[in-house]
Amino acid sequence: MLAGLCALVIAGGLAACGGSGSSGDSADGTTTIDVWLMRDSVSAAFQQEFVDGFEAAHPDIKVKVQIQEWDGIGEKVTAALASNDAPDVIETGNTQVAQFAQSGGLLDLSDKVDELGGKDWLRGLAEPGAYEGKQYGIPYYAANRVVIYRTDLFRKAGVDAGTIKTRDQWITATKKLNTGGTQGIYLPGQMWYALAGFIWDEGGDLATRSGDDWKGTLDTPEALRGMDFYKELQALGKGPRDSDEAEPPQAEVMAAGRVAQIISTPGGAKVVAESNPELKGRLGFFPVPGKTAAQPGSVFIGGSDLVVPAASGKQDAALTFIGELTGDTWQRKLAVAMSYVPNRTTLADAVASDPGTAAMAAGAAVGRATPNTPGWAAVEAKNPLKDYMTAVLTGADARSEATEASQAITSAMKSGS
Amino acid sequence: MSVIRERDVPRPLFPRPARPPAPPGPDTERRGWRHSPGRAWPYLLVAPTVLGMLYLLVYPLVRTVLISLQDFRLRQLIRGDARFVGLRNYETLLTDGRFWQVVRRTFLFMAVNVVLIMLLATLVALVIERLGRRGRTAVLSALVLAWAMPVIAATTVFQWLFHSEFGIVNQTLTALGFESFDRYPWFAHGPAAFAILVVLIVWQSVPFAAVTLYSALTTVPPELYESARIDGATAGRIFRAVTFPMIRPIFMLVLSLEVIWTFKAFVQIWVMTNGGPGDATTILPVYAVQTALSSQRYDLGSAASMVTVVMMAGVLVLYFRQMFRQEGEAL
Amino acid sequence: MSAVRSRLRRLPLHAAAGATIVVCLFPVYWMVATAFRPNRDIQSADPRPLPRTWTLDHFRTAVGTEGFGVFWRNSVLVTLGAVLLALIVALGASYAVARMRWRGRRAFVLMVFIAQMAPWEALIIPIYIISRDTGMLDRLPTLTLIYFMMTLPFTIVVLRGFIAAIPAELEEAAQVDGCTRAGAFRHIAFPLLAPGLMATSLFGYITAWNEFTYANFLIIKHQDSRTLPVWLSSFQNVFGTDWGATMAASTLFALPALAVFLLLQRHVTTGFAAGAVKG
Repeated sequence: MLAGLCALVIAGGLAACGGSGSSGDSADGTTTIDVWLMRDSVSAAFQQEFVDGFEAAHPDIKVKVQIQEWDGIGEKVTAALASNDAPDVIETGNTQVAQFAQSGGLLDLSDKVDELGGKDWLRGLAEPGAYEGKQYGIPYYAANRVVIYRTDLFRKAGVDAGTIKTRDQWITATKKLNTGGTQGIYLPGQMWYALAGFIWDEGGDLATRSGDDWKGTLDTPEALRGMDFYKELQALGKGPRDSDEAEPPQAEVMAAGRVAQIISTPGGAKVVAESNPELKGRLGFFPVPGKTAAQPGSVFIGGSDLVVPAASGKQDAALTFIGELTGDTWQRKLAVAMSYVPNRTTLADAVASDPGTAAMAAGAAVGRATPNTPGWAAVEAKNPLKDYMTAVLTGADARSEATEASQAITSAMKSGS
Repeated sequence: MSVIRERDVPRPLFPRPARPPAPPGPDTERRGWRHSPGRAWPYLLVAPTVLGMLYLLVYPLVRTVLISLQDFRLRQLIRGDARFVGLRNYETLLTDGRFWQVVRRTFLFMAVNVVLIMLLATLVALVIERLGRRGRTAVLSALVLAWAMPVIAATTVFQWLFHSEFGIVNQTLTALGFESFDRYPWFAHGPAAFAILVVLIVWQSVPFAAVTLYSALTTVPPELYESARIDGATAGRIFRAVTFPMIRPIFMLVLSLEVIWTFKAFVQIWVMTNGGPGDATTILPVYAVQTALSSQRYDLGSAASMVTVVMMAGVLVLYFRQMFRQEGEAL
Repeated sequence: MSAVRSRLRRLPLHAAAGATIVVCLFPVYWMVATAFRPNRDIQSADPRPLPRTWTLDHFRTAVGTEGFGVFWRNSVLVTLGAVLLALIVALGASYAVARMRWRGRRAFVLMVFIAQMAPWEALIIPIYIISRDTGMLDRLPTLTLIYFMMTLPFTIVVLRGFIAAIPAELEEAAQVDGCTRAGAFRHIAFPLLAPGLMATSLFGYITAWNEFTYANFLIIKHQDSRTLPVWLSSFQNVFGTDWGATMAASTLFALPALAVFLLLQRHVTTGFAAGAVKG
């Protein structure tokens, strides 16, 4: 009895603090929309500028932006889509759209594609945003990996980064850099996005579709050549063979020691310079080299799409918001402010003056994404790719390991679809 | 003990002359409870627990079972039109060859961990009991700090210590002349990764077990030790004959809790090895998340959890039987 | 002479105690030391037990994060609520189980034990659905009730063990001396229970204080209802995790546990004294 009373008191007390902050259409005719953006997707300054600009242009719409954390975001979006009170616009990773679209929790935006300028969208954003022929995700921005290098170490070794256009030139230069206390490149053993790029360059793929089934294809000759190249490159530095670029954060490694190159999004350079101010102004960028000078290397396109939950009650206002944020004006400003690749190829000139973003945009033109199927999430959950890479780098037989990893991918995709 | 006596002597042990002869009501007198304000009391005392469990545990559990019998994915969570498929999810699960490997590994993992935890915790508890006040506070505080260290932080620190390139373990071993540990990738070798996880889980679990066992030790009346010592018993004999029987209920309790907790260990493995390399550290909860939750197969995930609960209950059935037998005697 | 001998005899004991402390504290120390290291020294090619340079930046980041105070308050409210609720409810239930005989007792004990095995990671979906359909999403009381239920079975099971271990004669004697049953329990049994209460409330605190999954899944749109573990995850970004800040925050996390323990430690000694009186 006492306990019951106590429960009531506690619950009541907490309820008072946790009052509902949900918003709706207010009496004066304005609509408030809830927008979820990811941490670091926009700076606070840009967010303020955009919201002010947007609300001035659309006085009937108020925008409430919430910044979400990356950790546990899949669950969070799931919970939001299934709730009665969903946000109206959500930013999600480009490769996540398929699984949410499959669930029926997203609004089909196919009839808005032309209006939003869909013909010029980056393929790496637009394709993963579509599922079974319908467009659910509207491309927001892209970021992909480039090579970040230390200009001082390059100069000392007599290497001109501008001349590195092919893989062979890249290897030669890195070998030259990798002497004394300097690491030619810090490439951790499990950076599978980089491996994916090398495999795509060779004409291979991570998985291919036959009929309704997906099959892991790491054991094709093309994919094995991609792994060979990764191994050759990885040996030209002291990257740990058993961890990925986040553990430890490779930008911190570059900040701490004599590391000539890392493969990272250009934003990584900012982290390096923040951690070690001495390196400010000593960092340069070039696109990941391809097999021939004619074309830069394929890279994985990371980035975000904007989606509208089917449960949103303010879809028109949500679309207005998306139209502005993904439109020419704000895309140009966003790209410059945040060093992103804009969502359409026609805007590439907006970032021409920023060397990091320009290098990135060059790669983005030939960027790819992971297999566009809900089943891929199951592969990343287990990630046999990482085990495969570590095994090969620590001396196991590439062919048999590749066969095993491909089987693991196949079965993971089957269970996940 | 007292209850047994009451049963043997169904009339009140102490005469109650002050009380007027009670009317032959069904409640107060029939079973002869001393000082018992009524038979309703125990039910009132457990009512909040029962009600809470019914709503917050049993009800969701029933719905979990329902989900495990349905085709229930993200779509059904959002749309709510799940279709019953009978035992299909269980069939999918139980016919997966990998599943049975995982089950065997789970039991091995559990057994190794629990044995080490109980052994070390008992030793630590005995040490604490023998220490002076200051030493006791120091050890207990150290245990509590280790216990309170957030799981993510602890797991990350262990990962760093054993890092192939930047870890202090490899550095120290190499400096001591074990050249083969230079850049040794611990987490790329199944048995090594498994061992590190065991060390981590034991490190995290011993504090709770040791503090609880120590608390139990303080309830052992000191005169029992004295008389045993007067009889000339050795330390080992005293432990077996005096200490352990006294703390056995709590010991068994801690044991069963550790069985449950190691069976359910997830975060540490997920953060540290993601179940790898290969499947070397994949135990049931990791398997459930890999095959089910990451791809939003809530139906398969629920089925896997149900199977896990049944297996855990299987391990603990022996404990329950013993507990009830003991209770029958002791209470 | 005998003092020397007894000290020698106690040497292995003290060595064991020292080893326990070192083994327990080394990872904790590493966490704290990391919190004081500049980022690029956290994982370096030349790992050292002592930081080369010290910095307070991580603590500044951790405490200076927007909303720190709100998250802190939420966590304290939820944790305290869950632990107190669990203690009160469990005291009644465990007393009934350990001291009274009634029909259904066995079934109750079995239920509590099975509750201990509850697959919380699978229950999250039904609990989400139930909360959604009853309008309890985004609210702290929901979390309080869930953490209460996570810790309740454990609390009952442990307290039951402690109550059962207290000789009933003590209470009986007190009752003969004119105490009521409740009074006997309060004056005699309660001090003896202190260690058990300590262990269980610490357990409840650590469980509720660290819980992430439910806090992340059930608090969706109302950001002011987020708790510390969710806030902790904000140190993760696309370039990896800000481990310095995470470790600083984790240190701040663990400190209250030590404080709670040191606070309750006195009661353990009280329990001790009561034990001595008993003899």
